[in-house]
Amino acid sequence: MLPYNWMMAVAILLPVVAAILVYVIRQYHVRGVIVILAAIALIVNSVLFLLHGKDTFTPANSYWDTIVTVLDYLILLFYIYVGISLKNWLVLIFALTQIIPLAWLEFVMKVNGASGNAALATVNPTFVVDHLAIVMTLVISIVGSLICVFAIRYMYDHEHHQHLEKSRQSRFLFWMVLFLGAMNGLVFANNLIYLYFFWELTTLICFQLIAHDLTKEAIGNAARALWMNSIGGTALIIAMIILFAKDVPMSLNGILSGGVASAVLLLPVALMCFTAMIKAAQLPFQSWLLGAMVAPTPVSALLHSSTMVKAGVYLVLRLAPAFAGTRLSVMIALVGAFTFMAASGLAISQTTGKRVLAYSTIANLGLIIACAGINTPLAITAAILLIIFHAVSKGLMFLCAGTIEHVIWSREIEDMEGLAAKAPMITTITAIGMLSMFLPPFGMLLGKWMALESASVIPLAAWLFVIASAAGIVFWAKWLGRLLQVLPKLGSKIESLSLSYTVPLWLLVLGIFGVGIGVAAVYTGLVQNAVADVISSGQALAVQGWGLTVNGVSAVSSTANFAVGNYPVWPLFIVFAIAVLIPFIFVAIKPGELRPVYMCGEQAGGTDTDEWYSTADVKTKVQLGGYYFQGVLGEAALNPWTYTLSIVLMVIMFAVALLAIGGAL
Amino acid sequence: MNAWIIAIVTVIVAPFIGGFLAGIDRRITARLQGRFGPPILQPFYDFFKLLGKSKIAASRLQLMWIYAYLVLMITALLFLVLRLDILLMMFILGFAGVCFALGGFSSRSPYSHLGANRELMQMLAYEPVLLFLALGVYAQNGSFLISQIYASPTPLISRLWPIFIALLVILTIKLRKSPFDLSTSHHAHQELVKGIMTEYSGPYYALIELTEWYEIVLVLGIVSLFVANPLWVGIIIALAAYALELFIDNITARMTVGWMVRFVWSVGVTLCILNLIWFWVFAAFKGVS
Repeated sequence: MLPYNWMMAVAILLPVVAAILVYVIRQYHVRGVIVILAAIALIVNSVLFLLHGKDTFTPANSYWDTIVTVLDYLILLFYIYVGISLKNWLVLIFALTQIIPLAWLEFVMKVNGASGNAALATVNPTFVVDHLAIVMTLVISIVGSLICVFAIRYMYDHEHHQHLEKSRQSRFLFWMVLFLGAMNGLVFANNLIYLYFFWELTTLICFQLIAHDLTKEAIGNAARALWMNSIGGTALIIAMIILFAKDVPMSLNGILSGGVASAVLLLPVALMCFTAMIKAAQLPFQSWLLGAMVAPTPVSALLHSSTMVKAGVYLVLRLAPAFAGTRLSVMIALVGAFTFMAASGLAISQTTGKRVLAYSTIANLGLIIACAGINTPLAITAAILLIIFHAVSKGLMFLCAGTIEHVIWSREIEDMEGLAAKAPMITTITAIGMLSMFLPPFGMLLGKWMALESASVIPLAAWLFVIASAAGIVFWAKWLGRLLQVLPKLGSKIESLSLSYTVPLWLLVLGIFGVGIGVAAVYTGLVQNAVADVISSGQALAVQGWGLTVNGVSAVSSTANFAVGNYPVWPLFIVFAIAVLIPFIFVAIKPGELRPVYMCGEQAGGTDTDEWYSTADVKTKVQLGGYYFQGVLGEAALNPWTYTLSIVLMVIMFAVALLAIGGAL
Repeated sequence: MNAWIIAIVTVIVAPFIGGFLAGIDRRITARLQGRFGPPILQPFYDFFKLLGKSKIAASRLQLMWIYAYLVLMITALLFLVLRLDILLMMFILGFAGVCFALGGFSSRSPYSHLGANRELMQMLAYEPVLLFLALGVYAQNGSFLISQIYASPTPLISRLWPIFIALLVILTIKLRKSPFDLSTSHHAHQELVKGIMTEYSGPYYALIELTEWYEIVLVLGIVSLFVANPLWVGIIIALAAYALELFIDNITARMTVGWMVRFVWSVGVTLCILNLIWFWVFAAFKGVS
């Protein structure tokens, strides 16, 4: 096995090296091979982390601290440059609100700090790789790497379609591969200065990748993502300043184990959760993620669904012990649950595939944050399982959306009508991805089921979950329904796609079934330990036979270990195989048995046409359309309400944190 | 081993009960409309007649989803009789509904497409009530397991009667009765033909009939949970609820989809939430005293 410092280097620095190589080498094939090799190295390395278990790491040389500080200022100076050159004053203002307090913290407060201040002492260790971080690095390395492999060919086709003079694929892959390292660093960081640096680095990469196509819309939306996340960065710095003033060591460990009365810590913790919520695009900050959909689809898959936005939920989960049992915890649950409900409702009205996916992502991140706020062992288990399942399923869904876009050159759901006949393979994969998002036996539903079973401590959150669940069924099923509308015919030809598309797609499908069927193993081998890193009291979930059992205390009998719920995992997968997979393979129909659809006897031809004789016997093509309810559920109708309510929730969230401090003083 | 026997017996017996109830439905409805009506066993005669018809279809995909609809409906029913997790049962029932809607979408038929869209709206209306019902069961028993409902000495209806009323409202949707007979249309042939079922015929249509029989037994079984001890009282209540639905079917006019969603969300969901708030306040009160 590799020495631990090498494993850390592979996780964080190897992507940097690989990124520089793909930037310098401009040959399509060589570049592709480098990405694939880096992907394999990262995947193997993440498995090594799993085998190695919990550990900490501090770089031997202190010059890393200096490098990080210098890079911090370079990033912030770049933001100022962006703000000025785009004449986007919001970007400029929120860059200044970061750089000035940061400089003040590092050059005034630290220099003038009293000796013996715990916050001044060198933070040790710099990185803590506990089981929660290992879960994250597995997700980043495996799902993220597959998406980078997909991007190799995708960007080639993307540019081919755009008829670019000069290829910008190297630049694209540079940021994509670099991102994997930044993300690994983020989830490992214990030192808040390092956490802040990696946090800003992901914001920077996000900006660069959204702006990649350099259209006016792309640059505008990238700038919005930048200033919104800069508000988050500002909140993170303010949190650090408060921690420093309160004499708390500047590390996540310091916050979680701090010897200070926890009520005093509630405000910085609330600020950090606020930062995390912006990153996770919780309402009212959802617009940056929706705008980010202009980026090429691998960006959406990597940053805006499976990894970067997960940094937000990761940080809230990480801080969960710091706000356990407080009213802040309730408010965090409500912000998340409200986002889950509102985003699910808004998704119904969306006509663009990627925007449905974006809203669904926002909704599911809300669900995970709500679980962190519910803050019971079962809810935390649900949250961590949801991170894994969502990354795999949503990563796949975005890659499907990208592939479909390159088959029909449109992102509109209405244009996908009858895709099952045009491209049966990608339709099958997309259907599996969609079913896995909201139906049993798949993992996402298992997570939602656990969330609902744990939500009784905050009933309002449970009610919001219920409404969101109902909306989720509608927007997924009606989209999937559009793909299936085909004329009566047999044997549509399976489309041919590049291996760079199909290999990641099928591996992710395999992953969905793998983590779904093997959820008991994933739980005992991985998630159980990660839950213990967050919350130490009690075992909520037990593997029993072929299923999972939720334990609790009964209201009826006083037996200690009493089953609250039961999820028979394998029987349900068998049912799924009998209900869907076997009919999909074996249901056959003979050509003579096909009939045209019923059109009151006015068909203009046989099974191969969907025309009918309209008034005065004019041949008219049947036109079908989905329901979108834009008048009732559209953004214009709902957003005044969602913005108002979500802002009120955020204000109350800070109010309860401040009140708690008032109470403690 | 016992569970296997219960499962096998259920799978065999349930369609007979469902078909028999459907036959009684047709007879009573006919009498209410001043007709004589078919024999009680007519649904079974129809079923076997349909099996003998030639197999025709408008696409392969629509057949696939109809098998899934049947298998998942049976699975949901097995969750009920094996007394497993009620919340998960609701999700499986939801999956069955999704498969039925997808079957309707799987051809370029305007009528079945319209029916499928309406089916989704019906799901949007009834799904929250079913999930709230599961939350109510937890609020009363502290467990989502149906076995705990049977173990509890207090019947659900004593404290969950508002949710019971909401369940009666959505029962009309689930049994495809007027005023919510929107997606399949027993009465609206002029506009909808047979809605979501338009493109199914012969043996495939027989499969849908079979699934509906299972569904009748399942939803009446859910109603019977409200008085689980003794079970015969629950069954009588379920049959009374079925009779009530027949009368409602015959005395009301079919409403629009939008009206249905608004009505169920305003009346049904409000009743559910009020019921759960009552539990919440009650628990807080008990905690204080």
